[in-house]
Amino acid sequence: MSKVLDRHLIFRHRDIENIQNIDTYIKDDGYSALKKALKEMKPVDVTNEVKSAGLRGRGGAGFPAGVKWSFIPKDIFPKYVVVNADESEPGTFKDREIMEKNPHLLLEGIALCAYAVGASASYIYGRGEFLSTFRPLQQAIDDAYKHGFLGENILGSGFSLDIRLHLGAGAYICGEETALLNSLEGLMGQPRNRPPFPAVAGLYAKPTVINNVETLSGVPYIILNGIDAYRKYGTDRSPGTKIFSLSGRVNRPGNYELPLGTPLRHLVEECGGGVIDGKQVKGILPSGAASSIMGGDKLDTHLDYESMVEAGSMLGSGSVIILDETINGVWAAKKNIDFFRHESCGKCSPCREGTHWLKSVYTKIVDGHGTKQDVDMLGTIIGQMEGNCFCPLGEFVVPGVRTSLGLYMDEYLEMVAGNEEASQPQKDLIHTFF
Amino acid sequence: MSDQVTLTIDGKTVTVPKGTLIVEAAKQIEQEIPVFCYHGKLSQVGMCRMCLVEVGTPMFDRATREPVLDENGVQKIGFFPKPMTACTTPVSEGMVVKVDSGAALDDRKAVLEFLLTSHPLDCPVCDKGGECPLQDLTMKHGSGISRFNYEEKQHFPKKYPLGDLIVLDMERCVICTRCIRFQSEIAHDPVLAIENRGRHAHIVSYSDPPFDSHYSGNATDVCPVGALTTKDFRFGARSWEMKNVPSICNHCGVGCNTVLGTRKGGSGTGQLKRVMPRQNETVNELWICDKGRFGHHFNESPNRLTTPLIRQDGQLVESTWADVLPFIGEKISSIKSANGSTALGGIAGARLSNEDLYLFQKLFRQIIGSNNIDHRVGLNANFEDTTAYTVGVGVGTDLSQVGKGSTILVIGSDLDQEAPILYIRVAGASVKRSAHVINIGGRRTKLDAQAQTSAYYQYGTASYLVLGILASVVAQGLVNQEWIDRHATGFSEITKLLQDFAPDSVADTTGVSSAEIEAIAKSYAEAENGIIIFGHEAGNDPALGAAIEALAAVTGHAGKPNNGVIAVLPHANSRGAADMGVVPNRLLGYLPLEGEAGLSAEQMLSGNSIKGMIIAGADPASESDTYRECLQNLDFLVVQDLFLTETAQLADVVLPAKAVAERDGTFTNLERRVQTFDVGIDSPLLAWSDWLILAAIAGQLGADWGYASADGVMAEITQEVPLYQNMAFENLVAPVSLDRQTDHYIYEGMSFTADVHEGIQWATVAENEQQKITLQLVVPENHTGSDEITLVTPRILYDGGRLLAETDVVQSHVFQTRALLSSVDAKKLGLNNGDSVTISQNGTAVNLPIQISRMLNEGTILIPRNIEGRPAERLVGSSDVHASVKVKKS
Repeated sequence: MSKVLDRHLIFRHRDIENIQNIDTYIKDDGYSALKKALKEMKPVDVTNEVKSAGLRGRGGAGFPAGVKWSFIPKDIFPKYVVVNADESEPGTFKDREIMEKNPHLLLEGIALCAYAVGASASYIYGRGEFLSTFRPLQQAIDDAYKHGFLGENILGSGFSLDIRLHLGAGAYICGEETALLNSLEGLMGQPRNRPPFPAVAGLYAKPTVINNVETLSGVPYIILNGIDAYRKYGTDRSPGTKIFSLSGRVNRPGNYELPLGTPLRHLVEECGGGVIDGKQVKGILPSGAASSIMGGDKLDTHLDYESMVEAGSMLGSGSVIILDETINGVWAAKKNIDFFRHESCGKCSPCREGTHWLKSVYTKIVDGHGTKQDVDMLGTIIGQMEGNCFCPLGEFVVPGVRTSLGLYMDEYLEMVAGNEEASQPQKDLIHTFF
Repeated sequence: MSDQVTLTIDGKTVTVPKGTLIVEAAKQIEQEIPVFCYHGKLSQVGMCRMCLVEVGTPMFDRATREPVLDENGVQKIGFFPKPMTACTTPVSEGMVVKVDSGAALDDRKAVLEFLLTSHPLDCPVCDKGGECPLQDLTMKHGSGISRFNYEEKQHFPKKYPLGDLIVLDMERCVICTRCIRFQSEIAHDPVLAIENRGRHAHIVSYSDPPFDSHYSGNATDVCPVGALTTKDFRFGARSWEMKNVPSICNHCGVGCNTVLGTRKGGSGTGQLKRVMPRQNETVNELWICDKGRFGHHFNESPNRLTTPLIRQDGQLVESTWADVLPFIGEKISSIKSANGSTALGGIAGARLSNEDLYLFQKLFRQIIGSNNIDHRVGLNANFEDTTAYTVGVGVGTDLSQVGKGSTILVIGSDLDQEAPILYIRVAGASVKRSAHVINIGGRRTKLDAQAQTSAYYQYGTASYLVLGILASVVAQGLVNQEWIDRHATGFSEITKLLQDFAPDSVADTTGVSSAEIEAIAKSYAEAENGIIIFGHEAGNDPALGAAIEALAAVTGHAGKPNNGVIAVLPHANSRGAADMGVVPNRLLGYLPLEGEAGLSAEQMLSGNSIKGMIIAGADPASESDTYRECLQNLDFLVVQDLFLTETAQLADVVLPAKAVAERDGTFTNLERRVQTFDVGIDSPLLAWSDWLILAAIAGQLGADWGYASADGVMAEITQEVPLYQNMAFENLVAPVSLDRQTDHYIYEGMSFTADVHEGIQWATVAENEQQKITLQLVVPENHTGSDEITLVTPRILYDGGRLLAETDVVQSHVFQTRALLSSVDAKKLGLNNGDSVTISQNGTAVNLPIQISRMLNEGTILIPRNIEGRPAERLVGSSDVHASVKVKKS
């Protein structure tokens, strides 16, 4: 395995054993950032520092964290910090490793964020399957309380913070921030209308910061070591390191923390040890099921927010899934659609009905009963969904299907070859009669 | 900044108030934007995506904030990259909206195709067919062919009973959640929800019993597809076959505007197929309760009286009008000459129209010469209100507009049971518009959940409490002296009396602390608008009426819109009965009676001075054994009614009357709004309108009235009753279109446009600069606390009333005779649900099963009025509301 980083910023547990133990964590300068902030910095300085460091949201959208924090109104109380630990994009498993192996880093990040925005309560919202992850995390929280890093009057600063864990019931949609808030409030996990944005009226209609686990875990390093130290990693517009969850047809799948801007080829070949059996890369899903699929020729794309968009996809949450020649492109697209059909929350018609319809057509094609008409229909269905869905998750369905149609059309046609096209009269009944 | 915003929709300019949604702005220029989930009365969710439009806003340079101009010097419009939902996007200055552009039309077609992928397309057998937004919008915007694989359609049960009144066909549902939002936001019965997600999502009811709400029928109206249908109307008729007739609900005093959907049957006679709400924003908005919707079957009941009956050899036998009318004339004349006119008396129920009641009192006062008339029997027995005359809510009052800065004081009324639509309007004023609703009663009621303040008094002390509030208003210096000087006299006299009722002194008696009383007084007096709503549970107490009148007057909360007093009267025309002077001690229009007052209903029915009676639309025999005995002993009894009631069974002559759907007339609702209802269906051939029967009897007694129609009677009322001078029929009927209007049912959920403020309120004394209110207080009777259990007897919606008994679908909702007891008392007495108890008071005892209720306070037992066996009336008497009783396990 190549070592690009001399020191992990977030995956510190890979450098230091037992860092989930609070004493080990403290010994490694743990909670020093919090001490520094509480003693030497005003809340607004923390926000500004994070803003200048250019830390961007690691949940997928890449929105600058410091800018998000600065939207929080000063004069409305209470405020909340909500941590999005509903890690449910297929192929993403980075937050889980942070919470299990280096939990205090996250807690310190939350405390810094809460201090910056003036919140005294924080909730970590995890997916329902995270029970085994939340047990050690709860242990870490208990330890932090005992050491005075959480609770009333932290380190004598007058700043208080409580952190509570909450497990959802296991729904992809609850990773969408407003659906997450609904779920946390005990409502149905469905997205809310925006505006108002969570920064204005979020949890219980109060100003709320929602950040991903990895985003907040990046904060302590910035506060402790400064902007320049952080900007040493990554590119100018995508500074810092990012954890990539590599999976699919590679020899060494797993999480890899790399500076942003690292070439994709490095991740696949150096970190992942190349494709199984030395096969060719056929497709890359750089951000899970929601990805635009990139062809194998895009391996030299750099892993940062801008380069990935230029290459026609996006960085997202960094869940890189590698397809090789043994994988059928239609089958892979259908797997994604099965996922979306299962996870559509049902709030808006295009996503609820569109995913259901797509699954129906894909099943027909993969089962060998499809026709050329069906393949064409896939294109029109996603066209009808695009731009019309209530929340981004409905829109996420579109790029995967569209790029798979573009990249693997020959496989689609092969699957439907020889099947008769339906010969029923395509008569426009309404307009015949009226 | 201006409060108006100008924008362009498809090239047309429209100016609307700031904050208006695009969909509403478009409606103003009659540009229809199709919707499913949007409903003007509900919160916006933007989930059906049907209303997607292209939206652009004027472009400004980011750095300089200068407008960006095109080559012609016109400011450029920047369109949003994605279409926007017109139902959630508010307008902004200079906005450009494209509704009928190619892209927007494509989006609409796309969304419709999605919605139809799993829709069963069973329009030919669907009750919504013909008035279905999905059907109409598909015709307008949809594709004519179906691309979805038919075999893959989702299947759900086709007739799932969501409650016992509402049937769900989940296959037709488009998951717009209008029904769920109606139940939580308007009805405040959040009993519906979505279960599961994605395409498996379906509507469920979580309550027990399922869909436990008095408003469930409205969910079928707001449903934009045929997913929700009522058990009553299901497969009953096609919407286009029906003739729609404007009517007024006759079940309570609210006066909801309704539409009778009638159809000519095979025999050629009209059939009443359904009752739906008719929009009137000042009365019922878009809603009616389930009793009003389903309780119409009495009109066409096979049990109706169809011909006059006359007693021969002890039996009632069929007769003819030609035979019975002269007989009635003879008998009345002979009693009059033998015993004098005061031996004759009459009782008219408050369900009769103003025209009937006017002629009823005219017959007795002018032709017979007796003041022995009354309407206060049955549910009306313990409740008559005259505060409306002086300080009733001002003309133009509209509870749907009452909000922030207003205080609504609800005293002694369970609105959800007694006047359901009033309940949702008061609850809405509180929850949606932030009015301060103060719910005061002897027990917890549903309104407590929406009221910001609740207070509980000991039964029998409501008048003390109101006097305490009044004393506190005076003590805190919150009186409106200017208003008092202009409109009232006697203020200084009442202040002396109030010294005995300071909050401190009434706190112990009432059980409400002086701090609470002071806070209530302050909120009410300082409010911009103040409304008092009081009901019969506060007690049949002259001291209460006087105190409420004084409270409204000294705070100046009278004589103007959204201020004043509403009495929650029981019947459709209880207000009209009081207006028409169907009481022994007062004339028409609240004018004083010169000379001796007549006998009240209670006096007539418990003494022996009355020899002959006419009873119209009332059934006193059913409520008391004393009454029954008295009626049996009469020399002559005429009853006019729809059914052979217990009273009619005692009569010498029974006359068949027309039901409300078969005739026209006017009702005056509890806000004093006079409203007309129209003829919807044919009556039994020999049934007559009550006013016509009364005119015929008068004719037999020598009068020559010559009324030809109900509006002819009203024409005379306008001459005789100054309060009613503007109530001629032509003034009461605003131009209402009951033609089906597509856009109206797409947006509002019903077929008929009628955004009217129909009906006319008569003006109170407070609104009349020439008259003054004489403030007078009545000292309440001494209240002695009791260690015994207090029996309370409220009105309920689904009671054992004769009219409701004819509707089969609601029979399971009708209150099964039992008593409700608090869990504390049940424990003390060692009782479990269903155990039988003996409740006794002054020698009367009844045995009833009990149900333990968490809504009751310790020391209270509840039996509703007007239920099977009339146990409540037997224990407390007709005219009382509560009594101390002994309860023991039997």
